Amino acid sequence: MRPPRRRFFRLPWRTRRQIRADLETELSFHLDMRVEALVALGLSPDAARAQALREFGDIDDARRYIGAVDTDTEAAQRRSEYMSDLWQDITYAARKLRATPAFTAAAIVTLALGIGANTAIFSVVDHVLLQAPPFPPANRLVRLRFTQQGHGDVATPMDIVDYPTQAKDFVGFSIIDSWTANVVLENGDAEQVRGVQVGANLFDLLRIKPLHGRFFREGEDKAGASNVVVLSEQLWRRDFGGDESAIGKTVRINARSFTIIGVVPAEQRYPFTAEAWTPRVFTAQELSDDSRGARWMSVLGRVKDDVSIDAANTEVRLISQSMEHRFPETYRERRAQILSVQEFTVGDLKKPLYIILTAVVLVLLIACANVANLLLVRASARETEMAIRSALGAGRGRLVRQLMTESVMLSVVGAAIGIGLAKLGMTVLLGHVPPGLVLVQRASIDSRTLAATTLVALAAGLLFGTLPAMQVAGRGVADALRGGGRGAQGKAITGRAKRAIVIGELALAVTLLSGAGLLLRSFNRLMAVDPGFRTESVLSMKMALPQSKYDSTGHRIFVRQLLERAAAVPGVGSVAMTNFVPLDGGGYGFTFNVRGRTYARPSDEPDAEVRQVTPAFFNTMGVPIVRGRGIQDGDAPGAPTVYLVNQTFVKRFFPTENPIGQFIRLGWGGDPNEPYCEIVGVVGDVHGEGLGDAPLPTVYASLAQHPFSSLTLLVRTSASPASLATPLRSIVHDLDREVPVFSVQTMAERVASSVGRQRFYTTLVALFAAVALVLAAVGLYGVIAYAVSQRTHELGIRVALGATSQRISTMVIREGLALTAVGAGLGIVAALAAGSVVASLLFGVTPRDPITLTGVVVVLAAVAMVASWLPARRAARVDPLVAMRGE
Amino acid sequence: MATRPLDLLQGTLDVLVLRTLTWGPMHGYAVSRSIRQRTDGVIDIEDAPLYKALHRLEHAGFIAAEWGLSENNRKARYYELTAAGRRHLRAEEAVWRQYAAAVFKVLEPT
Repeated sequence: MRPPRRRFFRLPWRTRRQIRADLETELSFHLDMRVEALVALGLSPDAARAQALREFGDIDDARRYIGAVDTDTEAAQRRSEYMSDLWQDITYAARKLRATPAFTAAAIVTLALGIGANTAIFSVVDHVLLQAPPFPPANRLVRLRFTQQGHGDVATPMDIVDYPTQAKDFVGFSIIDSWTANVVLENGDAEQVRGVQVGANLFDLLRIKPLHGRFFREGEDKAGASNVVVLSEQLWRRDFGGDESAIGKTVRINARSFTIIGVVPAEQRYPFTAEAWTPRVFTAQELSDDSRGARWMSVLGRVKDDVSIDAANTEVRLISQSMEHRFPETYRERRAQILSVQEFTVGDLKKPLYIILTAVVLVLLIACANVANLLLVRASARETEMAIRSALGAGRGRLVRQLMTESVMLSVVGAAIGIGLAKLGMTVLLGHVPPGLVLVQRASIDSRTLAATTLVALAAGLLFGTLPAMQVAGRGVADALRGGGRGAQGKAITGRAKRAIVIGELALAVTLLSGAGLLLRSFNRLMAVDPGFRTESVLSMKMALPQSKYDSTGHRIFVRQLLERAAAVPGVGSVAMTNFVPLDGGGYGFTFNVRGRTYARPSDEPDAEVRQVTPAFFNTMGVPIVRGRGIQDGDAPGAPTVYLVNQTFVKRFFPTENPIGQFIRLGWGGDPNEPYCEIVGVVGDVHGEGLGDAPLPTVYASLAQHPFSSLTLLVRTSASPASLATPLRSIVHDLDREVPVFSVQTMAERVASSVGRQRFYTTLVALFAAVALVLAAVGLYGVIAYAVSQRTHELGIRVALGATSQRISTMVIREGLALTAVGAGLGIVAALAAGSVVASLLFGVTPRDPITLTGVVVVLAAVAMVASWLPARRAARVDPLVAMRGE
Repeated sequence: MATRPLDLLQGTLDVLVLRTLTWGPMHGYAVSRSIRQRTDGVIDIEDAPLYKALHRLEHAGFIAAEWGLSENNRKARYYELTAAGRRHLRAEEAVWRQYAAAVFKVLEPT
């Protein structure tokens, strides 16, 4: 007889005790056999046993020796068997995956898309939202946020007197006053950078150390101190070659000389994009009660380490209340609260980023569901294989391990491709980041993110990959074998699971599609808005005249010379200048009063945006003059000041009267003796704040009568606007090389970049929705195709009984559409529920926009039709003979 | 004819066991009887070292063990030569033959 061979069938591993017991069995077998043989030769049993033992020799020594050897053998075998099983699993899995390239490709692509998109987006969000700013402990560094009568407000110079003297919970406060710095370099060229004027204690509050040199000393923000400036590492490297000898040098900024005293490390700038810091020296007038109404600055503070944020918040609120008590008119309902620096900066980025993050997580969920479904389908197809392996002695653990190996291999390959996609995605993403999202541009791929995402995908693969193995093992070998892959109960369960997963996928896809649809429609609405000015063939170019160098006469001469020379450039149609170009985020407004009207309180005075323009502005920009006249060359110093107003201004303030001939007094410099000036014309509305924002009441004044240091040159041309940039730039350079020219863009480009964020969010969400739709369609196809393959026998019988192929395919498609209907229904419900989340990002579309929702359902239905039609076609071609014989 | 059984030379037993198992899988008792018969009692073989050799060879991977039923239907541990064991035996055999030939050359009258 031939004993079984261990190499093919495994016995359970033996414990030490079992090893001893086995040895005893072996030895006693030997002795018994020998005794029997000796007894057969005629010895007495006792004598026979004695002889057998004698022949055996030192049996105790043998026991000890063999016990040790066997324990060792057992361990070695266990190790080698594990390794060979693992290798077997890997090669087997690779073979199996190669054998079904469609499944493998679908699963890997799905995983790669999910992991790649998730990693790219999550890296960005992680960088912007989740990482604390580099000023630990970051939550103690706060900004004061003011509101007055429910509206956002900013700080007055007096706040930097009031709060530091009254607040006990804070280490200190610093003013932050933005400052456009025209830095004149050694070669004489000028560069405009984002500067900031701050308290001398700013860097102490940030708790950072200079890269080189020193930061401000106490008192350097007091009147009489010498001019000092701290530069960013970026500026220092760019313009001073990173040379330490730059410290101590003087640099001309805004036509004043500053001594460079230090360099701020690149990553520790605050405000985050600042390039130059200088102490803010307040004048005596600024630090008087008169300036309490003048608000344009912000305040940074640091809460003491042993004080709770809530307590600090309460303290500033109480101070703001007591200030209102002292100045009830000026500070009516003015409240202060604190906001962490991170919160303050991220603020309006937060919501869109979370929405995008949600979208991407939905895509990952769909991807996981898809892989789960693919694995389930595959597992059902392999039930017989599993049953046979189980019958041949593979334990449940062994089967689970096998399937796990396959899942892990899929996930690993998917993740590898996903990393590639993520890198690519980040590059594309960062290339399209609108300029406002400065923080985002610092983002880079994050290994923790990658690990987290891959783990999620891996877990999903493992969970769904091993489920079928548990099921097969649970059902028992005989049952599975008898079932032969047909009609067993377990199938109904996986069938239900598969349907539920597909419905879930479809619902998620619908939710995403509706979100994307809403954003797309909203974006289209936004782009359809008439900005109120000509966008094509107008080039704009910004520049800044150093205030200390140009008095109003010098300013006027500069403007006149520039306009004359620019008009002479070939191809230039008309030229104009203004102080604030529309859609550029700049601008200011003043309170005003209309002659003949009385206001109970100063705070009842209305306010309007104010812009200064040269005569050709309206012609160049294509803004119509609706009534009266425009600004004329004669509207110069010496002549009476005149104003134009826009239609919104008329609607708001002169709904029934003729505005022309009315007199208004603007609070230009807070001078109560400012004369009343005549309104001489009405012009069309311009969307100056943003395409999505209603035009504000605006007053246009003559630039010659009200000079302003920040200027934009506007040129209308028949030639390509871009070709004019160089000649115009050199004209400015020739007039005064200390005047920096920047932001040279056509108005069309300004319009495009004003909606850059919306475009960015919309594109991203649309992209994810498309991926989700494709994935859901693949999932639906998989389930229907599998159902058809399982029902070949049944379909064969139907055909044999006379069902037409038309009827068969209708039946299959109906099944697909039924799943789609349920999924779409759930998705719409989810979309409606989630609508309020996106509402704030929408323009001109309600979150329950019926057109969008209908469109989404139509798109989904069409895709579902295709996904079910493909397997339906196969079902319709079932040959009854083949189908029935095949079983 | 020797009057006293010879002591076993170091390593000899392993070769004997492996050679015996070339006949096919057998349990320890059968190996023991077979070796005794084939050496005609010339060499004194105790069973303790024999079993130690069997387990040592199993550990080395030269033989594999499996439980099976004996001729009289009792549970017995069967040993079978593995491919590695076969190779090892061939090598050892060659060494042995050279060794024996060398010894014979010395003992042979010239």
